[in-house]
Amino acid sequence: MTDNYEAVLLQFLLAGGFAGVTLLISVLLGQRARRNKLKDSAYECGMLPVGEGQSRFSVKFYLVAMLFVLFDIEVVFFYPWAVVFRDLMEDAETKMFFWSMLSFAGILFVAYLYALKKGALDWKPRH
Amino acid sequence: MEEQNLPWIILLLPLLSAVSILLFTRRSGNISALISTGSALITLLLGVVLLRMPDDAVVAAFPWLNLSSNFVVEIGFQIDQLSRGMMFVVTAIGAAVHVFSLAYMKDDEGKARYFAGLSFFMFSMTGIVFANNFVMMFVFWELVGFSSYVLIGHWFEKNSAADAAKKAFLTNRIGDFGFMIGILLVWGLTKSIYFTQIASEVVDEQVLEGVSNGLLMAMVLCVFCGAIGKSAQVPLHVWLPDAMEGPTPVSALIHAATMVAAGVYMLARISFLIPMSAGAGEVIAWIGAITALIAALMALQQDDIKRILAYSTLSQLGYMVMAVGIHAADAAMFHLFTHAFFKALLFLGSGAVIYACHHEQNIWKMGGLAKKMPITFVTFVIGTAALMGLPFVTSGFFSKEAILGAALHGHKALFVIAAFIVLLTAFYMTRLIVVAFLGKDRSDNAAKAKEVPALMWVPLVLLAVPSVVAGYEFFYKGMKLSPMSPAHEGPVNVWLIVISAAMLVFGIGMAFWGYRGESTEPMRLNRIAQVFAHKFYIDEAYAWLIKVFQDGLAAFTNFFDRAVLDGVIARLPAAGAFRLGSVMRRLQSGNLQSYGFLFGLGAVLIIYLVVFK
Amino acid sequence: MPAYYLEIIVVVLGLTVLMVETFVSLRDKRSLGWLAILGLLVVLVLNFTVVETGGEGGNTPFWSFYVMDIPAQWFKGLALLATIFVILMSVDFSRVLSKGICPEVEDDGVDDCAENQVALSEFFALPIFICAGMMWMASAHHLVSIFVALETVTIGFYVIVAFMRRNVGSLEAGVKYLILGALSTGFLVYGFAWLFGVTGEMELGAIADALNAPDVHRTGALFAFALILIALCFKIGAVPFQIWIPDVYQGAPMPVTAFLSVGSKAAGFVILLRLLEPFMASEMLNANVTSVLVIIAAATILFGNLAALPQTNFKRLLAYSSVSHAGFLLMAVASAPAHPGVVSPVAAVSYYLAAYLMMTMLAFLIMNLIRVQRGDENLEAYKGLAKSSPFLAFAMLVAMASLAGVPLTAGFVGKFWVFVLALQEKHYYLVAFGVIGAAAGFYYYLKIVKSMYWDSPADAGSSAAVPVVVAWPTRIAIVLLVVGVFYFGVNPGALLSLFL
Repeated sequence: MTDNYEAVLLQFLLAGGFAGVTLLISVLLGQRARRNKLKDSAYECGMLPVGEGQSRFSVKFYLVAMLFVLFDIEVVFFYPWAVVFRDLMEDAETKMFFWSMLSFAGILFVAYLYALKKGALDWKPRH
Repeated sequence: MEEQNLPWIILLLPLLSAVSILLFTRRSGNISALISTGSALITLLLGVVLLRMPDDAVVAAFPWLNLSSNFVVEIGFQIDQLSRGMMFVVTAIGAAVHVFSLAYMKDDEGKARYFAGLSFFMFSMTGIVFANNFVMMFVFWELVGFSSYVLIGHWFEKNSAADAAKKAFLTNRIGDFGFMIGILLVWGLTKSIYFTQIASEVVDEQVLEGVSNGLLMAMVLCVFCGAIGKSAQVPLHVWLPDAMEGPTPVSALIHAATMVAAGVYMLARISFLIPMSAGAGEVIAWIGAITALIAALMALQQDDIKRILAYSTLSQLGYMVMAVGIHAADAAMFHLFTHAFFKALLFLGSGAVIYACHHEQNIWKMGGLAKKMPITFVTFVIGTAALMGLPFVTSGFFSKEAILGAALHGHKALFVIAAFIVLLTAFYMTRLIVVAFLGKDRSDNAAKAKEVPALMWVPLVLLAVPSVVAGYEFFYKGMKLSPMSPAHEGPVNVWLIVISAAMLVFGIGMAFWGYRGESTEPMRLNRIAQVFAHKFYIDEAYAWLIKVFQDGLAAFTNFFDRAVLDGVIARLPAAGAFRLGSVMRRLQSGNLQSYGFLFGLGAVLIIYLVVFK
Repeated sequence: MPAYYLEIIVVVLGLTVLMVETFVSLRDKRSLGWLAILGLLVVLVLNFTVVETGGEGGNTPFWSFYVMDIPAQWFKGLALLATIFVILMSVDFSRVLSKGICPEVEDDGVDDCAENQVALSEFFALPIFICAGMMWMASAHHLVSIFVALETVTIGFYVIVAFMRRNVGSLEAGVKYLILGALSTGFLVYGFAWLFGVTGEMELGAIADALNAPDVHRTGALFAFALILIALCFKIGAVPFQIWIPDVYQGAPMPVTAFLSVGSKAAGFVILLRLLEPFMASEMLNANVTSVLVIIAAATILFGNLAALPQTNFKRLLAYSSVSHAGFLLMAVASAPAHPGVVSPVAAVSYYLAAYLMMTMLAFLIMNLIRVQRGDENLEAYKGLAKSSPFLAFAMLVAMASLAGVPLTAGFVGKFWVFVLALQEKHYYLVAFGVIGAAAGFYYYLKIVKSMYWDSPADAGSSAAVPVVVAWPTRIAIVLLVVGVFYFGVNPGALLSLFL
């Protein structure tokens, strides 16, 4: 039973090791610069770590983020599909498999066209 | 055309006509009239074809109310000689009346509404005739009441017409209420609503054995209540004379030949039930006889031509009901069959007279019409002869003899009354003819009268033919037209004919001698005649009775309504419900956080109820 | 034609509407609404032609996700009908809609946004996608497909409820619906997880077998049921999860409210019926399940009807009325199947929902017209309607009579069967509550009839005296619904025979 947890342990080690090693490398290889408050603060994907609780973003941000997530998910689905594709296509009963993915991608493509045409990816406002 | 669909077409065609008039052609009276008349003529044609349909023909029924496997109400058809013959009567009179109306209602404002009403009536009546069960019959029974209401109140801008329509509807409802109870009793006792099924169960399996006679009598008499209302028997006869406020063709169709005959038809349909209860037949017969007698007496002193005919209709219906009561439904139906023709003829004839005299209905303001309107006069005389029962040459004679013959066997008192009515009938009809058609004109309207257009006199002539020949055997039996044929066909009872002929001659003679050349009612001041003229004061008595009882009852119910129902039973819970509702509404604060909290609370509650209770 | 083509066609129809909107510049985008209605009508016709495949007959794993039986076909039809009426309403509603979307125009500058009918096509397309979700839901027979279909519907609704983004009411309704809806979805998934944990199965037939097995973990199964019931009670608006209904119904655009009250509710009941089946069939669980359903039904009837009494906003009143109808429907759901000679609960619910669709859509169609042309949703606006627009007043009278349950209307027959079922089950208390609720219903439904026929408008000579304009498609729809309410009220067998 405990065998199953070996992988988990490995995962922990890997994660901790990766974080530690990158930090270590940056200390070893990095150029020492003058410290200031901004540089010492944590990196948060470009957001200011300290500020108002409810800061406002442009709605475009959410649009792009949502589109990103959508196509991200699409890729997530594509991987397992590609893995079992050959096996399933051999069986006549599961031939539908190909069309399932095609229709999924097709719907997303149509949605992409719609989003594009509606200016969801235009960062600047049209008016 | 599939033969099995024939009854469906006959039933639905008038409905189609009525609906299409109401929906599409309401604006155009002429097109509506043509649609309606067309449908009436086609149904007459189909009605004749129907006569050839065999008894065992199966017509697809439509399961209408499927309440459970053992209670299914069908829109179903019972095709036998009774319904086929009755259908012929209805469609034949209906077609004649439609054609007559084309001329009579030519310039009426509500022509489309009128014809839609006629078509709807034909639909309802057909439903009654074809019904194979009580519930379907009751539904169409009510529809007939409704269409009669619409047609009587056709000229609703006149107060009297609107009142008459209301009176007819309400009076009919009283009877129908009894009918409904009767139907429930039948269903309760026999567990069936289908005529054939009840008949076979009652006769073969004796399901009614062991049921007390009182209950059986209640059952039969409650069903009979329906006929009292629809066929205007005492004490619910009061609506029929007032119904003459409607257009005259309507009176001919509904209040002479078909609707009022529905009661008798229904009694004939269920005549197998009447002998089940000792005494019920007696009651029915006596109610019929009393109706026949007092209606004939009332007819003696009426001045309105249509009212005279209305009372005579009452009287003849009383005859038929009496015949059903003495277990001679065959004679009753035979009389219904012949009566339909000559009474429709008389009504349409009176319609022609009224039309010619510019809507004058008082016979004392007519006179001398015989020369001016010869066709109308001749056909009217034929109708009158048939109504009086002129021996051997008219249809009325044969059917009346059948009833009198049935009464003679063991119902001497009824026979005496019936024979006396022959005299009265002869008297008032002779009076009508002498005053209205003979002598000289007594008003401008009568002076200017001239023969009616062909569209009106052709139906008269066509109806005059069966008024004469409908009693002959080749006609009613050979052509399978009559719903029922008289049972006894033994040697003609000579005494019977002698007695009735004597009565007839006596009546005609008295009236002729008494009214010839008179210009006002000679017996106007006679006390007894006054009583007749005022219809035995029955309307007044009802008004008084209703006033006393209703006012008292109203005062009491008013108190009960306000103090108990309104105060304690309605207001209190209503206030409580309102209060509770307001509290519940307060839960609806609109605040999302409290909604979330309530949601969680509810979730806990449900989990508790499901899992831990 | 296999049944699942229907959903595919509907989805393609929705995509077509979107693509036309994207690439074609139309002079009047309402024509897209007609296109959508036409397409859905075609699918409605096709719905009668599909073959029942699946169950044992199907040979691919697909058929464990999807069944095609009479109720499924029936509810697909209802979903399509509801969507058609909703889009019809949306066409009438388009003027108000652009007011809720476009910024206020200053002075008398040209209103580009309203001129271009911005977002109108999306307002037609979204109901089509929701419709596809509902149709799928009718056939869903697997926890996964149930969940996916349900979310397709729910997410679509989140969007269209808040569609009028410059209207505070619509926004508020959207936020409330989103948050509470997400909460309920959470419960649903949690319940599914428990159910899977207890039975080890995802397909409903297999779940039924597993729940009937003697070694099933009783508490775990009941817990799963409770969680699922919470989520579904939210969807159908049963007490104690009805709180969102009045606010959301009132705030949402009129066609969306109609769609919520008919489509969303019908969809919720399909899922409820499907998910209840295994629990009802299990002898160990069914006593608990029935008793809680009875309690919820009684509370829902009581709440819906009593809270409706003091309402003056018509839309809100119909929201409470929809709660009360959910209660009546639960009465049928709470009865076990199979009583000889009586309709099954599935048939009763199906009939009731069809009747409910007809009468509610009728009321909403008319309300929509009044809202658009008189700008008022309160009962005030209906005073004297019988004088200015007798046709609409009569149709509304029919709708109200049917909602109240006057005999000879479809609403009566629906209530009748529900009561018969409850009596068969000997749920006498529930019947008593039902009677109280139905009686209270008469009061507030007839209140509207009274103000239409007997009251005169508050300020004579105002807009209230002007007849309401009814375009011919709407008129046809209203006439059809009135006829339907009467026809199925007089001849219930026409619908029920499908189930017998």
